[in-house]
Amino acid sequence: MQFFGTDRYYLNSELRDIVNIAIAMERPLLITGEAGTGKTQLAFEIARALGLDLEEARCKSTFKGEELCYVYDTVLRLNDSRFSTGDSGRDVNNIWDYLRFGPIGRAFQAERLCVLLLDEIDKTDSDTQDNLLDVLEDGSFIIREINHKLKARQRPITIITSNAKRELSDPFLRRCYCHHIPFPTMEEMTQIVRLHYPQLPAPLLDAALPTFYRLRQMGFEKPPATGELLDWLGALQLDGAARPAERGRILHLGTLLKRTQDLLKYKGREARDS
Amino acid sequence: MFLPFFQLLRDHGLPVSLRYVLEFYEALERGLAPDLDRLFVLLRLIFVKKLEHFDAFEQTFAAYFLGSEHDCSPRLSREFWESKAFRRWLEDETRRGALTQGDFERLPLEELLRRFWEVAAQQAGRHRGGHTWVGTGGTSPFGHSGAESKGVRACGESVHRSALKVIETRRYIDYAATAPLRAENVRQALAALKHMVPAGPATELDVNETVARSSRNGGEIDLVFRRELRDRIQVVVLLDNGGASMVSYIDVVKLVFARMRDQLRDLDYYYFHNCIYGCVYSDPERRTALLLHQFLRRDPETRLILIGDANMAPAELLLSNGAIDYFSKVRVPGREWLLRLRDRFPRSVWLNPICRGRWAQESSTIRSVGEIFPMEDLTLSGIRRAVEWLNTGGTQRLRVGPSPRRPIAASLSKQS
Repeated sequence: MQFFGTDRYYLNSELRDIVNIAIAMERPLLITGEAGTGKTQLAFEIARALGLDLEEARCKSTFKGEELCYVYDTVLRLNDSRFSTGDSGRDVNNIWDYLRFGPIGRAFQAERLCVLLLDEIDKTDSDTQDNLLDVLEDGSFIIREINHKLKARQRPITIITSNAKRELSDPFLRRCYCHHIPFPTMEEMTQIVRLHYPQLPAPLLDAALPTFYRLRQMGFEKPPATGELLDWLGALQLDGAARPAERGRILHLGTLLKRTQDLLKYKGREARDS
Repeated sequence: MFLPFFQLLRDHGLPVSLRYVLEFYEALERGLAPDLDRLFVLLRLIFVKKLEHFDAFEQTFAAYFLGSEHDCSPRLSREFWESKAFRRWLEDETRRGALTQGDFERLPLEELLRRFWEVAAQQAGRHRGGHTWVGTGGTSPFGHSGAESKGVRACGESVHRSALKVIETRRYIDYAATAPLRAENVRQALAALKHMVPAGPATELDVNETVARSSRNGGEIDLVFRRELRDRIQVVVLLDNGGASMVSYIDVVKLVFARMRDQLRDLDYYYFHNCIYGCVYSDPERRTALLLHQFLRRDPETRLILIGDANMAPAELLLSNGAIDYFSKVRVPGREWLLRLRDRFPRSVWLNPICRGRWAQESSTIRSVGEIFPMEDLTLSGIRRAVEWLNTGGTQRLRVGPSPRRPIAASLSKQS
């Protein structure tokens, strides 16, 4: 099973090798990098290219490791035991009717191989990550209430993304393959843009990209990333502009710089230079 | 062949576990590294787990497999030339007719090595369970025998241009642990600092209480929720913003702590100039003073971070009228105030923007202050150690991995 990139996602050769090695060795792959470098997109594209289902877990800070595996609905069972009339189809005596499986649980129970995406895992506490350790290692988890071990039929292809907001614990890192996606270079960025906007005129792109990279170097609090670049180019294209800047002022600056401080800083610098 | 390489990685600060080694050989058996580029990617995936080790890994790989940058002429080490595996391969190839005597002299070194490596990788795959690489003296082709091992040397126009080119760009040097704090690696510093806040879950259904209450109600369901308390840590940052030496660091420090504000509700800033004399200021212009004895009434569990270069005239620290402000009436030496701070807040650290290597040269006051507060520099590893110190309650100094002392190429040439 090999992944070679798709028509919608630009994959450089290093990342392709890494993904294929991770799939072959059946290890979870942890991808870190700046926002907008295509980490989450990678999992979607892998699923699309290989024709597999995708189980997605958008991690929030209140998630506990168990919730990602399964949730035991006590309140519903209490309610059914008191008020149930029997036509809901659930049997109060059978716990399996009240166990709802989270993304990891569903991935483990799937008949076919699937892709499991744990998005932004750094938002959870380190306790949650520690709870996920043996899940990742063995491919199994224990349902506490009935002491039943659920083992994965087939180890899913696991992709974990992290914005590196918080550091991940060492035992967690040891069980994954880690890769950091650096910000795309100008050549790679050209290819990425071409995938999204094939009709963009070449002179506009050649003028816009250096401007974009220059803006990134200026030390803003939130430097513009790939997502912002694509929005900006889209706005320029809709506008029918031929050049990204008129008389020294960048058009549609609001799509690139989002924070007030950054905008003021840029305007101040502009005023100084002109 | 690879064992000296793993040892070299360990020498340069990468944690290498036996597990990784076994995993690597398993991957080799599956044929996942048919060429040098893939080998590089595979080794990096298995052995390097943190961003700050990437640069050290790349340099070690370049030095071991591709020859150090001092070599300019491609040559093979004698051990390699005479090793059994290489010779055996040569014989096989010549016997098969794939390699004639004329070829051997004509082919460039890179081509020879490439062919050899392809065959060798396949062989590793075929020998299931019987490793011919590890430990069997003389079979490893790359001069594996203790102190003599150098690895394959064929540099300059190397065997695989792409891997070397990528390594030469040193993309990851900014992220290395010893790099000073700048806008690029602020994110990493933030990740280390955020460990300071333990958080707990918010609302939870208390099942036992619910069942008990419901039974007491004769079966009417009465849901009981409990909320677990979150630990709220208070952090106070005392910033030295006087003098030209600190100006360049203020922006970066502010950036780091501004981002932290989202995480830490209780973050307070105070300012001082060079050293603390009886009060700290709550505004950057140092006009609104907060007397220190009021400051000392805070909760002793407060984490205190002092940021400054600790570089001042010794008189300011030690003399009783050494306060830099001429009109100050304070008669207690600066050192006294620092001691009082330390006694009240055991969880305190001093972060110094000047890198550690220059402390001895800059001023004697740095050492004096370093005796009062644990002092770290403003690099990633320094901040990590400072955070560890704060978290462990100041009871133990944690060493965050061995730090590389010599440049990698030099250490390799020392071995030869």
